[in-house]
Amino acid sequence: MEQKPVIEVKDVSKSFYLPHERHDTLVEYLTNPIRLFRRNGEMYQVLKDIDLKVYPGEFLGIMGRNGCGKSTLLKIIAGIYAPTTGKIIINGSVAPFLELGVGFNQELSGRENVFLNGIILGMNKKKIRQKYDEIVQFAELEKFMEMPLKNYSSGMKVRLAFSIAIMTDAEIYILDEVLSVGDIAFQKKCDGVFAKFKKDKKTVILVTHSADAVKKLCTRAVFLKDGIMHDYHDLNKVVEAYING
Amino acid sequence: MRNYFELLDQFISTDFKLRYKNSYLGILWIILKPLASFAVIYIIWTNLFPQSPDFKMSLLLGIMIMNLFSESIMMGMTSLSTKAGIILKVRFPREVSVFSAVTISLFDFAINMIIFTAFAIWNPIDISFIGIILFILSIFSIYFITTGISLFLSIMFIRLRDLNNLVSVVLQLFFWMTPVYYKIEMLPENLQKIISLNPMTHIVTLARRGLLGASNIATDDFWQIGIVFVLSLIVFGIGVLFFKKRVYKIAEYF
Repeated sequence: MEQKPVIEVKDVSKSFYLPHERHDTLVEYLTNPIRLFRRNGEMYQVLKDIDLKVYPGEFLGIMGRNGCGKSTLLKIIAGIYAPTTGKIIINGSVAPFLELGVGFNQELSGRENVFLNGIILGMNKKKIRQKYDEIVQFAELEKFMEMPLKNYSSGMKVRLAFSIAIMTDAEIYILDEVLSVGDIAFQKKCDGVFAKFKKDKKTVILVTHSADAVKKLCTRAVFLKDGIMHDYHDLNKVVEAYING
Repeated sequence: MRNYFELLDQFISTDFKLRYKNSYLGILWIILKPLASFAVIYIIWTNLFPQSPDFKMSLLLGIMIMNLFSESIMMGMTSLSTKAGIILKVRFPREVSVFSAVTISLFDFAINMIIFTAFAIWNPIDISFIGIILFILSIFSIYFITTGISLFLSIMFIRLRDLNNLVSVVLQLFFWMTPVYYKIEMLPENLQKIISLNPMTHIVTLARRGLLGASNIATDDFWQIGIVFVLSLIVFGIGVLFFKKRVYKIAEYF
């Protein structure tokens, strides 16, 4: 494959500062100004020299235990965190779904939330208007769009959020454990969407704990443990490594 | 490309809609706050000392302008942290959240100006086209100053969660240090000097001249507002530079 990668993660490390005490009020700094300069805490390295290239049309699965740095890696790729060292190069538009329904507001109606969420995700109003009926139909919420979101069941909210998400027209999709939504009928529809993503040569990075999802959807997978990335070049080996911890 | 202005528009309309969604008085709160402080100061002050006939309108306008100033800063300061849920999940131009908060305060002020106009029916004011331009320039000076300050404070507020207490005290101080309910000439000379260092003193004076004393406008007033306006753009520019430099790390501190 001599293609140009769409995502290139070069030697990325990420450390967080772990304070031993909480100081985030002005009063605390003023009563003990030394704290401003000498902070009591340690650095905790979450990601260690991650090197990763993702090519167009790939479905990359990232597996690993809780707290191993999966979400941090996704957030760095999505541009929410800045890497401590290293570089990220992205060629293409990114639709980050670290959570579904970002910005959803309980007080607003389903319709208002479609526009709010859609615009936060980077769509423009005109396009949301065009796709509106399709979104509602996919979510199967035709009767509920004028109702405030607080009266939706959690399943309904997720369905609405997912339906908006798949209407974004990006080249790269970043999904953080957002696959297992809805009932079986809705799941089937989602599978249809992923098949279409594959056909359209979209690039997808997904974090999941489901071995089935990795085997079914991914063309490649990597395993993260304690901030180090292991690439076994084999889906089954990655799943095996994940199961064995 | 990002849908920059649609995002701004969406934030403004959503936050405006949501702010008073669950309150019975709803949008009335926007006008009740400045009207209440106007009523209190007016009643006390007219009973203490005899006031000139233009005192009422001058006080009302002054309070509305100072209210714009402090509301813009308070809302701008907390704007990043109230958007934390979105900032942690999606990459979008962060400054939009600050711009939308300050712009909402400007809309509130516009609603207050409707009340001012209603007052003006019974208390004739001295207004002209040039006066309105002077007034609008003063209001936009406030808009740029408060946006610049908010860009700075919104970042600081993430690290120092009690900053709002300090800022509200400082804003209170600004209210008293601006000739809103007194005339600067009433003060002793050394105090006058201090008060005239406050940019709000000049802005409020010029805005009042624009709407209440248009027949006295001189070219000098336009020189003054020009200087204030340029200064406000400088404050805005510094705010933008500070914000751009610091904002990329902000997600880690929520």
